Amino acid sequence: MLEGRGLGKSFGQARALDDVSLTISEGEVVAITGPSGAGKSTLLHCLAGVVRPESGEVLLDGRRIDALPEPESTKVRRESFGVVFQFGELVPELTAVENVALPLLFSRRGRQEAMAAAAEWLARLEVTGCADQRIGELSGGQRQRVAVARALVTGPRVVFADEPTGALDTIGGEQVMSALISAARAGRAAVVLVTHDNRVAAYADREVALRDGSVLAGVQR
Amino acid sequence: MTTGHVLLGFLVERAKHGYELKKEHDHRLAGAKPLAYGQVYATLQRLQRDGLAEVAETRQEGGPERVLYAITENGRAELERWLNAVEPSAPYVASPLFARVAVAGKDADGYLVRQREAHLARMRELTAEKASGSPAQVLAADYALHHLDADLRWIETALARMKEHDDA
Amino acid sequence: MITVLRMLNRGRSRAERVRAWLVAAGAAVAAFLVCTAVSLADFDDEGGSLTGLGLALLAVPVAGLLHQANRLASATRERRLAALRLAGASPGDVRRLGALEGGLLALGGSFGGGVIYVVSHLSGPLLPVPVVVVVVTLGGVVSGARAGRHVVASPLGVVRRVRMRGPRMRDLLLFGMGVGCFVLGAVVKGKFPYVGAYGSVVLMAAGLVLLLFGVTLAATWAIRAHARRVGRRARSAEALLAARLVEADPRAWARALAVVSLTVFFGAMAGAQQAVVGYSQAHALVDVALLVALVTSAVALVVHQAEELIDLRRSFSALAASGVPEGALGGVLVRQAVIAASPVCVVAAVSGVAVVVVTTIDIYQVQWLGWAAGRAVVMAGMGVLAAVLVAVAARPLLRGALSTYVRA
Repeated sequence: MLEGRGLGKSFGQARALDDVSLTISEGEVVAITGPSGAGKSTLLHCLAGVVRPESGEVLLDGRRIDALPEPESTKVRRESFGVVFQFGELVPELTAVENVALPLLFSRRGRQEAMAAAAEWLARLEVTGCADQRIGELSGGQRQRVAVARALVTGPRVVFADEPTGALDTIGGEQVMSALISAARAGRAAVVLVTHDNRVAAYADREVALRDGSVLAGVQR
Repeated sequence: MTTGHVLLGFLVERAKHGYELKKEHDHRLAGAKPLAYGQVYATLQRLQRDGLAEVAETRQEGGPERVLYAITENGRAELERWLNAVEPSAPYVASPLFARVAVAGKDADGYLVRQREAHLARMRELTAEKASGSPAQVLAADYALHHLDADLRWIETALARMKEHDDA
Repeated sequence: MITVLRMLNRGRSRAERVRAWLVAAGAAVAAFLVCTAVSLADFDDEGGSLTGLGLALLAVPVAGLLHQANRLASATRERRLAALRLAGASPGDVRRLGALEGGLLALGGSFGGGVIYVVSHLSGPLLPVPVVVVVVTLGGVVSGARAGRHVVASPLGVVRRVRMRGPRMRDLLLFGMGVGCFVLGAVVKGKFPYVGAYGSVVLMAAGLVLLLFGVTLAATWAIRAHARRVGRRARSAEALLAARLVEADPRAWARALAVVSLTVFFGAMAGAQQAVVGYSQAHALVDVALLVALVTSAVALVVHQAEELIDLRRSFSALAASGVPEGALGGVLVRQAVIAASPVCVVAAVSGVAVVVVTTIDIYQVQWLGWAAGRAVVMAGMGVLAAVLVAVAARPLLRGALSTYVRA
């Protein structure tokens, strides 16, 4: 469904990504692993249409999306993708439920409808108690679950998660991971997971190991 | 002696049959290798010989002879000592994984990559089991996951060191 | 101390240099305005004195800008000061460093302003010039010393900025006191118990100054209340986000809009007065001064907008990464400006008209209110427009801020 072919990207002199290819099928959970500086985040950003690769192409259902003009690329991201960042990157001035409703509101849905859908997602991720609290009042684990809800609320085809448990302790991270995986499976969304933590990578169906911008030889492609 | 101490621990609650002890061991030490009956009785006999456990009752009701074992005062003292003793902190490195790399040296990288995949596959299994496991199973899976993770990180470092050595 | 300042100056970024220029330019404008005002008030002519009063009061917003430029909490500056504290500088050291920096800039600026005045008013009285330069420099010292006070309290205090700063009771008190003084002075007029008519004039002037500060600070309350209302009713994501952002930090908006609100206030006041005495040359001068003030206020808004974008960078770029168009985020900035500026400008315009009408209630005629109201509406509109234009102009800044995650 989502495919990267021969992706390459440099930042200045540094080669961040060198001829990386991978295919992600419908509903599949794939972990991109590797030490820091291996090009994990760059690969994720290329696949998610946030960064344009210098070489190679990205296809969604066989349609090239890496060379789209910015407004269309934005539309693909909004309609087909969801993103969870390491620190949630929620809007601290909004309450939890408003944060989750935000993507729906930006897609021009009515306020009532958006808020109801957001509340439902929060319930599914077991963060109902703090729906009307602002982000600053939530624990790290709650914050990440709100971020997961925000990524999934639009019913995306793929959820991209960049070190979603990076700022959490073991148990908090585990709760976020199982919430992410089960919610994604329920919504039949594929998950592309960037992590340097093997225990987080173990939640995936398979692994793409990167070393110095290339896929590690001998590991499943 | 660990198995002996574990069985002593199960006897604190009340006197039990060997069969019961095996069941309890396999349930509470989920993830450990299941105990064979022969090993249960051998261990109980050793405990009896050392005065840590005793036979409380022997019954025979048509079927085979059934013996009920109980813990002694000495047994309780020994159990208490064992529970509070600190395990020696890895005085030796003893692992077939390490031994292979030590023998093969730089040529171990192919093996390490394959071992890495095997470890990760096992971690995926354990993670999936955790989702529906009992608390005891989750604890056991956590223990295994952390140890596999430690191995993986060592493999990672070993591979990096080999590469460094090559480049130099 | 001077060595440290020199070392710091050598490594200044472009933003820091812009800030320094802003402080110096503000000091120059303030010095020039006050000198001109004093020279005008010297003449025994009512129109001149009126203009002088207007100019002198306009120096207040300029001084406000100067202070804002001095305390410009660009992340780099606070981090630099915090690093100084962590490196062992005492709170006093940081304060002295700020005072020295602010004072030197204000000295240079006000000296320049004084020179411009002397060159353009060779015939005028020169005595006030050194006095004004000293006063402005002292202002720079005080403002510089206070600028780093968040850092002074705790070296780690700025690492994580606390948001949700609400209005304070003390602001409302100031506002009430101002109204009280002013009304009292207006009502008793010549029958003031001390020093007769002069006493009441002094009281009214004090009331006016208090009122000015009060209006600015009380704007915090108005902005928050309005933002809350808009947030409750918002139907679009842009409106909701804008309202909540303003609601979370109304103080910053009140501060940034201080100059705007003062301009609108004076504009409305001048308009109400023009209706009484007719449009004269003096009024034209006041209007020019108002235009200058409006430009100044735009600078204050730009400063605020830049500061805010630094704060919003992470959450906005995360939104952009998940497919929110840049245009929608730009819309959030514009809506924020409307939400924050409209209550402030309306209040300022109404109170500007009210101040004139209340003091001259015995002679004020109803038909004059048309002109007064018209001017007030125009001034309020211009205030909101200025804020919106700044938000529109901030698009390139927004694009830069979004690059945290979105890189082409």
